[in-house]
Amino acid sequence: AIQSSRFSCVGFPLAYIFLACKKKSMALKLKSSDNKIFEVEELVAVQSETIKSLVEDGCANNVIPLPNVDSKTLELVLDWCKNHVDVKLDEEKLKEYEDKFIEVDLAVLYDLLMAANYLNIKDLLNRASQKVADMLKGKKPEQIRETFNIVNDFSPEEEEEIRKENLWAFEE
Amino acid sequence: MSVLPEGCISEIVSRTSPKDACRACVVSRKFRKAAEYDVVWVRFLPSDYESIIARSSDSLNYSSNSKKELYLYLSENPILIDDPKKRFFLDKLNGKKCYLLSARELTIAWGDKSWYWRWVSLPESRFPEVAELNYVALFNISGKMSTSMLSPKTNYAAYLVYKLTQEAFGFDRPPLRASVGTTGGGGVYEQAVGLDLPAVQQGPQARVVLPQQQQHTSRPKQRNDGWLEIELGQFFNEGGEADELQFGLKEEESLSMKSGLIVEGIEIRPTRG
Repeated sequence: AIQSSRFSCVGFPLAYIFLACKKKSMALKLKSSDNKIFEVEELVAVQSETIKSLVEDGCANNVIPLPNVDSKTLELVLDWCKNHVDVKLDEEKLKEYEDKFIEVDLAVLYDLLMAANYLNIKDLLNRASQKVADMLKGKKPEQIRETFNIVNDFSPEEEEEIRKENLWAFEE
Repeated sequence: MSVLPEGCISEIVSRTSPKDACRACVVSRKFRKAAEYDVVWVRFLPSDYESIIARSSDSLNYSSNSKKELYLYLSENPILIDDPKKRFFLDKLNGKKCYLLSARELTIAWGDKSWYWRWVSLPESRFPEVAELNYVALFNISGKMSTSMLSPKTNYAAYLVYKLTQEAFGFDRPPLRASVGTTGGGGVYEQAVGLDLPAVQQGPQARVVLPQQQQHTSRPKQRNDGWLEIELGQFFNEGGEADELQFGLKEEESLSMKSGLIVEGIEIRPTRG
């Protein structure tokens, strides 16, 4: 589970409003699937290509609904975006942040993947995919099923056939 | 993971390895579909695979247009390229580029004098000609290629691919000098090697402890295609600026006679481990 200490829940949206005012950049309102409104600086939000094209098309004047992202995930995603506004600042610190950020439960990781996919945030999608890929590497099919809780929907004959097709990958 | 769209699973699988992607096919239907998409296998193929295939006069004999099949084809069936003086193939485990340069692509001292070297056609070679040594006292084979032909960030080794005839002699000692290195700096890897394959496999009792400085001397190995190979040396291809890779094998000091070597070529492929 996510440690709540990392993201002070109440202070979080307020911090963005403060930031937005200070920089005099436009603030955008995002609405999560569970109807929570997040007010964020445009610079932060447009790291999502999906939101960026909405802004460019002039469709971002009112609240932007994000029906595929719940508030818990959106909060995480926006934290990622906030920390990637100026990536040239400190590479080492950024890497540290990303490593810590991605240390989450599988369920959260899936949520992040789907949100990054839907919002089209390339660096987050890459980092989350890499995290899952690293968990996949070197595992046998049985171990993959167990790790990721996947149901084997092949019949034993089908499985045997596919195993034969890919025989070289099972040789030590 | 079943909540993830296929596109996400493909993205994940493309960040593993060809072996992992093949194993993933067995996991479930959705996984199999995602792991066989072209977007996955294009990432495993070298970026310039199309231009390399275009240099081949072989008709690629694989059944479908799937990139997975192409990948497996290129790792199991070396294709002849460049007239055909080279064979190109992929290292199946990682998709790195590998080449076998034919003897005609190498510089062989006295190779144009049929008294010393003969050019013969052998059924066990896919090249039109291989070089057979009649006899010579000054033995020197070398080759070169641009490092831009190889995969970046990869540790490669060069191997002489050869055979010894029944009457072969002079390849046991004195040792030959093998070398691999690039012209643009970096160390040149050198070692002394013998080409004779030990007649009997040594049991544990008969194990010979090599002197310290010879610990890393490579030994001839039997290949699956019937030829022998010996590692000439290794080098790390960083992959920035194109450099010239040079490799060779020589013995020109003792003036002792050598005979009975058949050279198919020199192979460049990644090292294991």
